[in-house]
Amino acid sequence: MSGRVHVAIFVVACLIGLMFASVSTYDFAQHLDRQVHDLHCSFVPGMSAKTADGGAAGCQVTMMSPYSSVLRAKIWGGIPISLPAMAVFAFLAFRGIDLFGRRGRSRRSAAAFLFAASTIPVIASIVMGTIAMVELDAACKLCIGIYGASLVAFLAAGLAFMAIRRAPPEDGVQDEAPGPVALVGLAQLVGFVGLAVLAWVLAMPDYSKFIGTCGKLSDTADKGEIMVPLDQNNGADTIEVFDPLCPACRAFDRRLAAAGLDVKLHRKAVLFPLDNTCNWMIDSAMHPGACTVSEAILCAQAGAGNTTTKQVIDWAFESQEKIRDAAKIDPAAAKRMVDERFPDLAQCVGSDKVQQRLNRSLRWAVAHSIPVVTPQLYVNGTKLCPEDTDLGLDYSLAGLLEKNGGGR
Amino acid sequence: MNVGSVIAGVVLAAVPAVMGFTWVGSAEKRLEETETGTESSDNPVAAIAAAADEGYCNGDLRKILRRVLQSCGLLQSGEVRGCQPVQAKSVATMQGGDFNALFMPLSQRAGIIQFEQDSADLDAADAKLLSEIFKDQRGASYFFVVARSSPEGSVEHNRELSQKRADSVMAHLRQSFNDPDLDREVGLLWLGEEFAQLEQDFCSWKRSGEADKCKPKDINRSAFVAWIDCRL
Repeated sequence: MSGRVHVAIFVVACLIGLMFASVSTYDFAQHLDRQVHDLHCSFVPGMSAKTADGGAAGCQVTMMSPYSSVLRAKIWGGIPISLPAMAVFAFLAFRGIDLFGRRGRSRRSAAAFLFAASTIPVIASIVMGTIAMVELDAACKLCIGIYGASLVAFLAAGLAFMAIRRAPPEDGVQDEAPGPVALVGLAQLVGFVGLAVLAWVLAMPDYSKFIGTCGKLSDTADKGEIMVPLDQNNGADTIEVFDPLCPACRAFDRRLAAAGLDVKLHRKAVLFPLDNTCNWMIDSAMHPGACTVSEAILCAQAGAGNTTTKQVIDWAFESQEKIRDAAKIDPAAAKRMVDERFPDLAQCVGSDKVQQRLNRSLRWAVAHSIPVVTPQLYVNGTKLCPEDTDLGLDYSLAGLLEKNGGGR
Repeated sequence: MNVGSVIAGVVLAAVPAVMGFTWVGSAEKRLEETETGTESSDNPVAAIAAAADEGYCNGDLRKILRRVLQSCGLLQSGEVRGCQPVQAKSVATMQGGDFNALFMPLSQRAGIIQFEQDSADLDAADAKLLSEIFKDQRGASYFFVVARSSPEGSVEHNRELSQKRADSVMAHLRQSFNDPDLDREVGLLWLGEEFAQLEQDFCSWKRSGEADKCKPKDINRSAFVAWIDCRL
């Protein structure tokens, strides 16, 4: 009888962990159709959180981060880490059920192995939780559910092991040697995880056929001298249609850097602020203040002061929400914020010259009939499909580089 | 290990594999449906970047614009520049008053560069107004320069004078603005004294001349300049 309650709690915790991991994997798999979907981001597995403040943002950030899956350059989206998590929880539940059915001292080695194996999700939770807090600054409710289930399972396994170790020997029942138990257990664990991954890989569609099918620029020459180099890399010539106050541009930039893909590209920005104070293609300002900040970038690039374009872009990314909120109330606020942060650019921002250059940048978009959306990436003139700019970024960009030549 | 444990093991091992296989397979099906168009994408289709096209760009105005632009060569290579007065008349196929009426909705986008009598030189006020109007392109595709002259002097002389005034405007734009699209954007028309003389209604528009210098002869020693926010 001793330890059975703890084993039962352990099994329940593992099944709850399996549910959380399953919902997370399901959400990931939904996105393999290259469309945008709502996420199930709740402490109740399977419950949807559609609103922006419903907690889905944390799950969105976590899922789109490069830490949510592995082998992304080889497989579109990669293998989600929640998939092996499902397999590990299923394995632990199986081992818990097996332990529950054992008698007397024959359970000691099995309980010891179970306790040791239960450290796997706990260690994974500590690593992933630290990444979420430190790197991503995001709290994903499904992930927290997994962390909680892992912790409860670990504690229950520990208590079960201690209870079973203290239990008196039963006549005629011999304990198994710990070595073979561990080896068999490890083989089973590999089998559980391997089977899940194999099934996933076998079911994956062929995404290579989509690479390079989303259009090309008629020419990539910078006749109007409007492009702003974003780096000094020696990678493939890449044009990024870019709005400094667009959250998607910031997220895209960070994804590129996190995946180490930015160094393979030599990026030049075509500024395309989604702000109707300079952009006639939109009825209202999606990103108020973006015209002014774009001018500051052009001024920095033209050497109007000592400020570099990178400094302006970094500041714009850091202060996006603040600038947009202020400019929404007072359109002149963006100029004041730019002047305060970069006094050396104050004279240039708002000048006829820079406004004309920004206008030429917008007319570049007209001349190339590109969609009114940011960001857009053109590698050697070929467009990276917008459906491939998040989960499929590593795979599709690698494919695009391969198809269109890697460097200059 | 008892039979129950083995069954539990098989079932639990199959759960992640079967679920993953099913979900990915389902995504593949949706992907195919989107590809073949049997299921529309949830993503909204983004608008395509385009030049401005304001409400005043009605059918008649577009027709006239197209005729003028074709006549002046702007819709082809952009190499032919300027339209002779007779050509302007023929492409417009309308009375001078009606021709001017086409430009009435452009009051906020236009200006009248006023020259001295028998002169095609831009003074500081002319250059300032011209630059001010030109730099405010926004999404406009075409910049019209319609040069005229007052009726003093011979018809031939006034025709040449209005051409010089149009050329003077173009030279200033070329000198002041590093716009690679200039030759594709700017349409020059010189009307001399023969066609579509401006009425005093235009005195309230942005002008480079002195406020009290707006008699018919003053306002027609001019180049009317305007961005046209129409797509053709």
